[in-house]
Amino acid sequence: MTSTWISRMIIFITLAFLIGPFFIIVAAGLSAGDFLAFPPEGLSLKWYIKVFEVESFRESFALSMFLAVFGTITALFLGVPAAYALSRYNIPYGETIKTVVAAPIIVPGIIVGLALLRYLVVPLNLTITLALFLAHTALVLPYAVRVVSSSLNNLRSDMEEAAVLLGCSRIGAFIRVVLPNIQSGVLAAFILGFVTSFNQVPVSLFLSGPGVRTLPIDMLSYMEITYDPSVAALSALLALMSVIIIFVAEKFLGFSRYV
Amino acid sequence: MFQNRNEGLALALPAAVFTGLLFLLPVGILLSEPFQVDGQWSIQGYVDFAFKPLNQVVFIRTLKLGFLVAFTSAIIGYACAFCIINLDGKHRGRVFGMVMLPLMISPVARTYAWIVILGRTGIVNDTIIGLGLSDTPIRLLFTETAVFLGLLQLFLPLMIISLVSSMENLPKDAVSAARVLGANWFQVFMRIILPLTKDGLVLGGTLVFTGSLTAYITPAILGGSKVLMLETLLYQRVNVANDFVSAGIIATILILMSFGANILLKRVAGTRS
Repeated sequence: MTSTWISRMIIFITLAFLIGPFFIIVAAGLSAGDFLAFPPEGLSLKWYIKVFEVESFRESFALSMFLAVFGTITALFLGVPAAYALSRYNIPYGETIKTVVAAPIIVPGIIVGLALLRYLVVPLNLTITLALFLAHTALVLPYAVRVVSSSLNNLRSDMEEAAVLLGCSRIGAFIRVVLPNIQSGVLAAFILGFVTSFNQVPVSLFLSGPGVRTLPIDMLSYMEITYDPSVAALSALLALMSVIIIFVAEKFLGFSRYV
Repeated sequence: MFQNRNEGLALALPAAVFTGLLFLLPVGILLSEPFQVDGQWSIQGYVDFAFKPLNQVVFIRTLKLGFLVAFTSAIIGYACAFCIINLDGKHRGRVFGMVMLPLMISPVARTYAWIVILGRTGIVNDTIIGLGLSDTPIRLLFTETAVFLGLLQLFLPLMIISLVSSMENLPKDAVSAARVLGANWFQVFMRIILPLTKDGLVLGGTLVFTGSLTAYITPAILGGSKVLMLETLLYQRVNVANDFVSAGIIATILILMSFGANILLKRVAGTRS
């Protein structure tokens, strides 16, 4: 009996350490005072409302959304064929291709941002937004390939072979037979990519210019200047957004299988 | 398995070319930059870098914090994973989900909570002053302890997840058998649990260690310029001094350490299969 009690305590303390801070942010954002404090000085929703009124937060939120949605879609357009080729064809240099595509996971983001700024943006005169888009796409690509590969590997290939033998074109077989069977894997890859891209900071550190900033970077620079509870409120809202996305994804896709 | 290799190559190449050209090539040029001094190849940049005391301090601090965070998360991770494994199915899934959840939440949000906890008017200082232990707030932010706590909270879930999945293969009777035969908990851990969960420990340790080395937000917010780590030093060198030689060297160190850890991981995983 005592050992179950001890084990419950251990789990409780660990979870309190991991999740407790989020409750603190939520509460700190509810403060009626002008400075960040806990426990909050009085209760009000003013900081949660103010977050939506700050112009730079609105702009950077829009940019982060754009990068997360379109970067991930582009990564899927590149990644799904690659994953398909790697799992169904015996291609030359397959291992090399795998390593190249997976590299963005290992290379620290800050280095990628700096390298892109110096050797892509400056010499080719690209806009920051385009560079951010390319960087986020490359960053999400490995996750797209990995998640889609794992659902392709769980799908037997004789169905598509049968479709081809019965006269379907290769592309037709892919669209009509393979894609419907891996759609939850593709959706899971999209969600994982979206979350990864939206939360990404280091890559965007150097890739920011006047008026072009991702939301996390904007929050970091806001924090340096102002010590009010609005970042706490915004953090709480972002955390809530992630929790809802993950909860829905888990409910309908069994998301944790794919991560 | 389809036989047409060119078709397969045509499908896989766009992704590889995209990453290669837009990702690896610029990074490669960046890494080669420190070797160029006045248009000539030389290692002078590395020599100068290595002899600067600040760089040494930051390098050692980064390694130290990486090891400390990995070590601490291994200890907490084992205790927690062992308790999770012994839960019944429904509770296990729920607790496991709550451990994973923070990984999906913005690291800025996760780190920001520590400002509320450790700041001048934060919970800890309020408590200290309230209890009369000190008249003025103690500086808790911008210390190594703050960075350590932030990193631990950020990466502990990775360790717990790795350990739980390797413990699932642990035969349940092994631990109770050893207990019945007279082994104490320390012996059970050293001679049964540890050898059988080595893979999970190495995987978790690698993820936590490389994660801590390459984290930017935590040292930036909780350490500031007082507790620089390699990533924040890199940012500072570029932003304050336009020093791309140091940036290239730090980048090389970070990549080498990450790759090294990954190769080690592959080797350990390889010996099993």
